Amino acid sequence: MKLRHAIAAVVLIALAATAVLAFQRGGGRRGFRVFQDSDEPLVLPSDANEKNEFNFARLRYTNVRASGMWAARGSWSVDYPKADRQFLMGVRRLTRLNTHSIETVVDLHSDEIFNHPFVYVVEPGHWNLSGTEAAKLREYVERGGFLMTDDFHGTYSWGNFMASLSRAFPDKSVTDIPNDDPIFHVVYGLQDRFQVPGIVNYPFQQTHEYDGFESRWRAVRDSKGRIVVAICHNMDLGDAWEWADHPEYPEKYASLAYRIGINYILYAMTH
Amino acid sequence: MFELLFKYPAAMFQKGEFVFGRSWPVWLLIAAALAAAAYAGTVAWRARARWSVVPYTPVQRWLRPAILGALGWASIAVLLLMLWQPALSVSSLKPRQNVVAVVVDSSKSMALPGQGTTRIAQARNLLDSGLLADLKARYPVRIYAAGADATRVETPSAIEPVAPVTRLGNSLSQVAAESATLPIGAIVLLTDGSDNARGFDRAALSALKQARIPVHAIGFGPETLPPDIEMLNAGAPARALPGSRIPIVVRIRHSGFDQRQLKLTASSEGKPLATRQITLPASGQLAAENITITAGKAGAMNVQISVEPLGGELSPANNSQSVLVQVEDRKPRILYFEGEPRWELKFIRRAAEEDKTLELASLLRTTQNKFYRQGIASPAELVNGFPSTVEEIFSYDGLIIGSVEAGAFTPTQLSLIKAFADRRGGGVLFLGGRTALSEGAWHTTDVAEMLPVSLSGRKDTFSRNPVKAELTQQGVLHDLTRLDDSPSSNAARWRALPPIADFQQSGPPKPAALVLLEAASAQGRQPLLAVQPFGRGRVALLSTGGTWKWQMLMDARDQSHESFWKQMLRWLVSESRPRIAARVSESVLNDAESLRIDAEVFDPNFLPTSEATVEARITQPGGETALATLQPDPIRPGRYTADFRALAPGAYVAQLSARLGDTEFARDELMFRRQDGVAEAFHPEQDRPLLEHLASQTGGKYWTPATARDLPKEIEFSEAGLSVRELHDLWDSPFAFLLLIGLKAAEWLLRRRWGAV
Repeated sequence: MKLRHAIAAVVLIALAATAVLAFQRGGGRRGFRVFQDSDEPLVLPSDANEKNEFNFARLRYTNVRASGMWAARGSWSVDYPKADRQFLMGVRRLTRLNTHSIETVVDLHSDEIFNHPFVYVVEPGHWNLSGTEAAKLREYVERGGFLMTDDFHGTYSWGNFMASLSRAFPDKSVTDIPNDDPIFHVVYGLQDRFQVPGIVNYPFQQTHEYDGFESRWRAVRDSKGRIVVAICHNMDLGDAWEWADHPEYPEKYASLAYRIGINYILYAMTH
Repeated sequence: MFELLFKYPAAMFQKGEFVFGRSWPVWLLIAAALAAAAYAGTVAWRARARWSVVPYTPVQRWLRPAILGALGWASIAVLLLMLWQPALSVSSLKPRQNVVAVVVDSSKSMALPGQGTTRIAQARNLLDSGLLADLKARYPVRIYAAGADATRVETPSAIEPVAPVTRLGNSLSQVAAESATLPIGAIVLLTDGSDNARGFDRAALSALKQARIPVHAIGFGPETLPPDIEMLNAGAPARALPGSRIPIVVRIRHSGFDQRQLKLTASSEGKPLATRQITLPASGQLAAENITITAGKAGAMNVQISVEPLGGELSPANNSQSVLVQVEDRKPRILYFEGEPRWELKFIRRAAEEDKTLELASLLRTTQNKFYRQGIASPAELVNGFPSTVEEIFSYDGLIIGSVEAGAFTPTQLSLIKAFADRRGGGVLFLGGRTALSEGAWHTTDVAEMLPVSLSGRKDTFSRNPVKAELTQQGVLHDLTRLDDSPSSNAARWRALPPIADFQQSGPPKPAALVLLEAASAQGRQPLLAVQPFGRGRVALLSTGGTWKWQMLMDARDQSHESFWKQMLRWLVSESRPRIAARVSESVLNDAESLRIDAEVFDPNFLPTSEATVEARITQPGGETALATLQPDPIRPGRYTADFRALAPGAYVAQLSARLGDTEFARDELMFRRQDGVAEAFHPEQDRPLLEHLASQTGGKYWTPATARDLPKEIEFSEAGLSVRELHDLWDSPFAFLLLIGLKAAEWLLRRRWGAV
């Protein structure tokens, strides 16, 4: 009897946890049903061992809290690796950039990050950089590295994000990027932008998550005025890359996400 | 003794001409000598029977009659010679009718120590101790003090070593010019030979030779460098860009300070710009040292290079030199065309942004259909892609071709790239890359001619394996690869740099190429950075697109990447010139006044033109201006020259303009400076070779103060002034009689000894 009660309690707890998690990101239960990852593991492209000019480096960082469905592998790996690889396919097709076909994971514990002047960070609203990591991030930027952040939403995430960012750049302020900034024109003219939703917003009657009602295009600049940290707040470009091939994901969001990604990379390679 | 034997002094034999007093023909003398030889031979032949038996050896049988025959013939020959009355024909000055000019060097160098006293005191003592009196006993004497020119004085004591400059050629020419109205028989020059014009010009020497005035030079001062350190010269580029590094090369010689360490300093307006510790080599060896300074703002930069004086030096005044560098008021523009997005472009742009003296415009092919332009001066610039007209491409001073295939250019654009270096005088840098060099089929184009390597034409030459850049011997001292002024520190900094991201094999270097960096790859060491001149410009090959690793893998404070690229960009543009490019023969005139202004003038296609009117408006130290019209060179098209005399010390500014009709189409500005009172401190030892050359060329003689007492006697034999040619018999000289007696006595003694009497 006791055993039956115990099993029932465990099942109930599991169901409740799943329900809470499903509603946690805007109540998109239907999104999870529609946009399910394939069970088939991603196959490495045949040219995955080639050496190329550009490597899409994804930053692995320490989480601010270990809970939620990404607690096990870390928030850094959201959309990984499909978003990265699918985005790189687009970069290859649309530009002359000689890019590696798969992503490279870097962290702030080793010096490998210095081999990659462009680094992408997802869900930085959950990062928790130590003093050492923050110092390395600053050194990385001062040498000429470029950091692009994506997929964090609302006030709470912003606060977490800034807490770590301020450790790296205590003397820098975050400012909005004006529409005429070169980053929005290096390849594509992106003066007219809109919020790119994640899949949790399916069927996309709304595009925001939490209280991140408006997408914010912000940056930290160096002493010469060049953007060194490009902050994409209240949008989910990674989901747009990841699900660009899905019939249910609106093309206009995927298209904008690709264009933003390409512009940001080309900006990083020219400024 | 010579005069006792030969009747006359040796100098007469040197000056005179050998003649015969008898009018008998010389052939008769030769015939008589031959007949005498035949007679002597016959007598000897007959006499040989005496020695043709034992105990005489075969050699004795031939040798003894031959020697006796030869002695007999020599006696007859000498007798015949005396019958023809040999004599010396010599021109000699008429006593009391010719003037001897005594010229005493009055320059400051004569105040330097000679033998126990100053050189001028030594000269005065020599004159006062009888030399002048001896001369005066034979000839009227005029005394001159020689500085920049000759000034007549009454007595040697009136000559003080105060002249800031020595121009022996000027002074002697001036004295020689007086021979037109005055019978000058000879010039006696008392000097240390320290001529600031560094030797006689041909005109001065020619004037002396034409007047047939022998110059007897008496040298003062040590013939080798006394204990002293002397900076012989300092060389620097005539022009530099603001903020650029200026390499200065100095040559130093010394005596007596072997292996001594001392400080080499470059300063401007009293402010030290750079300092280096140097070690002097062994005495007699030249030390060539480098010191690098940073150019200041636009304008003339007067740089003093000096080594610290050491105790015991003859003169510390020759421890420094000046150079004048014109810091240009121009902002050269460089066009960087990159065929694909590469990190190299970002980091080159960042390095260029650190340099406010130049501008980098870049054109990047981002997609199949798009270019991204940066650093453009106007919205229209490069809007149609890479320039396709002369006007467009020649508006830049430097060009960088990145990873882009040759097929991306039209034939016109390819020829413009070549003309850019060849005619425009710009610098072109080719980078390695995925579609660069042989991978981009550049070897099939005429542009391959301008590369400092011979492209192999092979494919698969590009690899993204990291390779280490290694400095070559030539690279250690080259401006392009100088990360540190000290060669050893420079090499250490290069060793500390991380490997570059990629490398492209190019090909073997061409004969005129300098390989500054090599890539240490699995295939061995291959050219990584090579440079060579091409036409009026210069070309570099950097066979990689991966130097950005020097920035990302080094501490953010390290400036190696920035320094390398800033130097590279400046190197590319440093030789590019506007349509008029002027220069002066010397930017610093040390106690000199003559200089030449040269200009090269080009039409809009940068082809030399001789159609222009070229003028230089020169602002002089006093503020007044002089106008010099440059004349076209009849042989070299586009070259114009003018001679100018800087009459006063100070700074000069020349503004050149080139006009076609009334339309001015090009301007240039250059600066030069005259400084006086400097040259006398240099070359403190006696220049004996110069004085010997002067004396031998004019028919005079070099004398030391110790031998000069014989000078008054020898001075007599001169063709200058009022001279008479006289015959002096030689047949009755004691030597001739002694020779005759000697020959006969020898013959008689040998005959006695050999039993032939």
